[in-house]
Amino acid sequence: MNNTKSKTLETQDIINKTRATKKQDSFSTKSGERVGVFICRCGGNISDTVNIQELKSSIDANFVGEFENLCSINCRRHIREEIIDQNLDRVVIAGCSPLTHLKTFQNYADPLNPYMVEMVNIREQCSWVHSDKEKATKKAISLVQAGVEKVKKAKALSKIISRTEKSAAIFGGGISGITAALSLANQGVKVTIIEKNPTIGGFMVKIGKVFSPEKLAEECSLCILNPIINDVINHKNIKIMTKTRLLRAGRRSSYFNLILEKDTSFVHEDRCIACGKCADVCPVEVPDEWNQKMTMRKAIYKPFSQAVPDVYTIDVENCIQCGKCEKVCNMDAIDFKLKSEIISLKSGSVVIATGHESYDLTKRPEYGYGRFDDVISQLDLARILGVNGPTLGKLQKISDGKVPERVVMIQCTGSRDEKTDGKRYCSKVCCMVALKHASIIKDKYPDTEVVICYTDLRTVGMYENYLRYVQDKGIKFIRGRPGEVTKINDKLVVRVEDTLQRKPMEIETDMVVLSEAIEPSEGTMELAKKLNVGLSQDLFIKEKHSKIKPANTDVERIFVCGTAQGPKDITDSVSQANAAAAKVSEQIKCGTEAEPPVAVIKNSLCSHCGKCIEICGFKAVYRDEEYISIDPMACRGCGACAGSCPEGAIEIKGLNDQELFAQMDGLLSDKKEGEVRILAFLDNVGYTAADTIGNNRVTYPESIRIIKIPSINRLMPEHITYAFDHGADGILLAEYPDECMLEAHKAKIQELSDYVASKGIASNKLRFYKAYAPHFRGLAKQFENFNQDMLAEKGK
Amino acid sequence: MKTIPDKNILLFKSCLVNVEYPGVESSTKYIFDKMGVEYFIDPNQSCCTGLGHYYDLFDQISTSALSARNFALARKSNHENIVTLCSTCYAIMKKSINLLNSNKKARDEINGILERAGLSHMKYNVGDLDSEKNVFHMVEILYSKVNEIASNIKKDFSNIRIASHHACHYCKVYPEDAITGSRNPMILDEIAAAFGAEVVDWYDFKKATCGAGFSQRFANRDLSLSATADKLMALEGKADLLLHMCPNCQMQLDRYQPVLEKELGRKLNLVHLSVAQMAALGMGADPYKVLGIQTHSVPVEGLLEKIKDI
Amino acid sequence: MLKKGMDHGSKEMVEVIKNDYRASADIGLKRCMQCGLCTSNCPATRHSEYDPREMVKMVLDDNHEILDNPDIWNCFYCYTCQSNCPVNNSPCQVNQILRQKVLLKGGKSQRIYEFLAYGYSYMDFGVGSIPSDFFDELVKDFGEDYLQLKLNLEDIREELGLDDYNLKGNSLNEVKNILIESGFKKKLETFKDAVESKS
Repeated sequence: MNNTKSKTLETQDIINKTRATKKQDSFSTKSGERVGVFICRCGGNISDTVNIQELKSSIDANFVGEFENLCSINCRRHIREEIIDQNLDRVVIAGCSPLTHLKTFQNYADPLNPYMVEMVNIREQCSWVHSDKEKATKKAISLVQAGVEKVKKAKALSKIISRTEKSAAIFGGGISGITAALSLANQGVKVTIIEKNPTIGGFMVKIGKVFSPEKLAEECSLCILNPIINDVINHKNIKIMTKTRLLRAGRRSSYFNLILEKDTSFVHEDRCIACGKCADVCPVEVPDEWNQKMTMRKAIYKPFSQAVPDVYTIDVENCIQCGKCEKVCNMDAIDFKLKSEIISLKSGSVVIATGHESYDLTKRPEYGYGRFDDVISQLDLARILGVNGPTLGKLQKISDGKVPERVVMIQCTGSRDEKTDGKRYCSKVCCMVALKHASIIKDKYPDTEVVICYTDLRTVGMYENYLRYVQDKGIKFIRGRPGEVTKINDKLVVRVEDTLQRKPMEIETDMVVLSEAIEPSEGTMELAKKLNVGLSQDLFIKEKHSKIKPANTDVERIFVCGTAQGPKDITDSVSQANAAAAKVSEQIKCGTEAEPPVAVIKNSLCSHCGKCIEICGFKAVYRDEEYISIDPMACRGCGACAGSCPEGAIEIKGLNDQELFAQMDGLLSDKKEGEVRILAFLDNVGYTAADTIGNNRVTYPESIRIIKIPSINRLMPEHITYAFDHGADGILLAEYPDECMLEAHKAKIQELSDYVASKGIASNKLRFYKAYAPHFRGLAKQFENFNQDMLAEKGK
Repeated sequence: MKTIPDKNILLFKSCLVNVEYPGVESSTKYIFDKMGVEYFIDPNQSCCTGLGHYYDLFDQISTSALSARNFALARKSNHENIVTLCSTCYAIMKKSINLLNSNKKARDEINGILERAGLSHMKYNVGDLDSEKNVFHMVEILYSKVNEIASNIKKDFSNIRIASHHACHYCKVYPEDAITGSRNPMILDEIAAAFGAEVVDWYDFKKATCGAGFSQRFANRDLSLSATADKLMALEGKADLLLHMCPNCQMQLDRYQPVLEKELGRKLNLVHLSVAQMAALGMGADPYKVLGIQTHSVPVEGLLEKIKDI
Repeated sequence: MLKKGMDHGSKEMVEVIKNDYRASADIGLKRCMQCGLCTSNCPATRHSEYDPREMVKMVLDDNHEILDNPDIWNCFYCYTCQSNCPVNNSPCQVNQILRQKVLLKGGKSQRIYEFLAYGYSYMDFGVGSIPSDFFDELVKDFGEDYLQLKLNLEDIREELGLDDYNLKGNSLNEVKNILIESGFKKKLETFKDAVESKS
């Protein structure tokens, strides 16, 4: 115990000492480039193949030492001691892959800036892939010496910390937006909910009942939602802005500048007590959207009795400004002089929770929506079945008010349909919605027959329980997609083939309910355009990565949740909303560290041409009011922007040209007459694949020398020239074909190929390879073939 | 809506218009002349093969090789906008252009045939024509001029109930190109409405086939007539006039209506006219010398009596 | 019990149909999910045993029995199925291609024989016409007026200011040569011989 303690103290001492020396600037690049090389035997993994003595004695550096297991905790002390004793200002670790232990050794070399540590991979790229000891040793020497040359050119860098303002703007006041808002507000974040409608609550307040896979029951949606809405209203950190939309947005390094427009409702919200006298005297009647236009409302109205905010609002489009409401209002709340307001909002993050729209059923006129009164949508039926709906919950035909004897539901109306105006995707909730309504109908009207025409019943996961529960109530299912709904002798008729029986039929019915698709809303698309957020092929908001970044958009600090991102049920919307809130909070709480390499713009050189903005698939480059800026969080340091910049105003921090040239030098300088050398520039995925080759002890020729780069976009024609001029026989560029940079890749490959051709270099000397981490054998094969071809060439 | 040409038009002759309802062609010419539409009828144009194609007799290559020859004629006379009187001609032309433009193997095969037939000068090059920009149906030209035509109308259609029969091969083969699409076709109804008629709009089987079914009319008479009966019975008592845009449909419904009336023991009181005949009538054309109603099976005279001059 | 053996090497029907010139380039045949929308709107289904959905299923199953199915000859070629199909399939095109296969294999020879007159008339005039074999039936249905119409057609056309529509001279030769070179003429003769050699 004591021993350990004293050791710790000792270490602490060293750290203090080094901190002191740090202040004396002894670690800057100017101080003399004193390099220490630490060679790891890796318990025989390296030393069984590589002659460590020979390696040690061949390296030209200020210090060279060998260790059995360099990653073990006691070696931390050795490394630090040598750094102090030898006055080293940079370090090479010759051992395993940087993917495994770079962080460890950056930590072990702590007095030094982490970017003054270079790892040379003589295990995965040497001892594990070569068996000829002599050749392996020669290669190890070359690799380590290249590392020494490279690290001499390294520059100290500090990590870039990005801070995000502690506020969030949430577009959309439905269940997703409300959920995200509450979560953030509870964490102390100032939240503004921006809702285009006069009230929050979204679709959920309209649908009456919600289905549940667990409870096997339909629950009252308003009863679930109301307490949450109350929390939102009363929360000191939440501000609700209704009838408000985004006009334009500006992106800054730590916040967004949002310019909003709040439409006037001619009502002072703070004065209105929602007594309703105004609506009583209003002479204008228009169809009520709350009841799917099945009832009428006045031009001054409260959307529904539990509406939040609890105030009356004027539908400016339909109001005739007769002034009757103004006269009758005791609170003096109505004022026709009230104008729309333009509001500027500074917000650290943005959450898009703008929801969806219901499919326009007139785009499938064969089903007769709008032509026949009793052909309705599931949302219409939800209102009819709602106790606060047009019939107070009674199932009635719109045409004559009678209870239907039979209800036929048509699934996939607009969904799973490749035709014009159709949606290719499955809308995901309609099967459950149909079951929910079938269940409610069967409970209240056991004599009414419910027939569901479906193509596939998609009650995934636990919803299968719900399907069985509803099936038990006696629903009829017909497996077939109806062709049309017609009317014969005043009865609706559904034409469908029962495909399981191979029986085309005409089903007479009183009521047809169309399970309308979920489609992306106009508002969502408009918002995405203004925020420069990408859309999916189906025009929903696109997640940054559907698997691992489901709540991120392709723009940093803009998140998405709910049906704005794609069809989903309330459960999934709430989960995603909480995920979005967690992501916002993560950035606010911790700030985020960006790791080099990252691109940096020198404003003095920038001509604002915007080419870099166009080429960056990560949307890291953006134009703010004065400058073009690069968001270090979004930047991957791939270098595409630097290559596109006509002014040379963009620099990649973390892998500078001097380092690259030095490394190439080192890898080629010991090349002997008749020998083949191939430089393999690998991105992270390519590098991982190369490591996996080693892990699996698959062999490849010693001629392959690997250089790790962020992306092939980092390479310019001068790098290629340099490599060939300095003795490279071939150059392999391998990279994972990342979707959002595909265009930049193609352009780069074209550029480099053209360049090589213009220099009269044979085209087979520069090769491109699409790297996939699991397909390491493919990469090994590439190495092998390349070497063979170059050997054959030499032979000629 | 797509751009509809009014010049450089090759008015494409139709086999069934030729021999069944020649008044459709003379009515179209009448309207085009009055409206200043520039067109050309080429005596060298061969028939589209549509009937034979759908009798299962013609293979696609033979059909499209003959199309290629007609395309070369259209280009040579500088009348590259093909306007058909028949919906099957319309669909066959589009199919041939698409095949020639996008299928190299088929194009090479067809050009080889033309070469061997001594017609190298008629070979087809990719992009010579465009199926969306060079093929139209007569009804589209009328539609594009409907307001002009309506303002020249000399007849009062207001007491005529008009229903429409939209030809399948216009609406359903290339639905994206059909004005008003295939799901709820309205182009004929909109034209009829512009002329001031009472439009029936929707009826059961509105979108259904006329029942001709090409070979079915001959090889499967009962099947064919069952489908025709669906349509006519759905219109019973609902309309005075059924508006057509395809001579094959017009023939099926006009010629077989008396047959079905006899078989079903009903009287339908439904008259058949092509939209071109109706438009020409409205513009003052002679029923016999332009509309050619003397070739109809269901007499048109009764209807004409109800249509008064304005 | 249907036994499904492994049929190595031979090209499946679905591939052959997809690549046929009559099929649209983007036909969604393989994506068929057997929803039955085609069948529910099909006029032939309404009045006969034809089921376009089942026909597609048999094609996808590579079940050649579909070629012997008499119901496929009931399709009207109205394209209703194609216009609505949610996966962009076209049972109508599939049907046309299947019928071509049957005919080229010598099936349904009597049926196609009755339509040959169309082909010969086309070769003679460059214009299509209703096959003469059926003319008597039409007159029977349509009555004497129809016969009169045909007899007076030239006069009527003249009254309407319309020219002769038959191709002549060079144009007719061009059309004939195309149909000889495309193999159409030979095909007509094969169809003809198939029936006439029997009798």
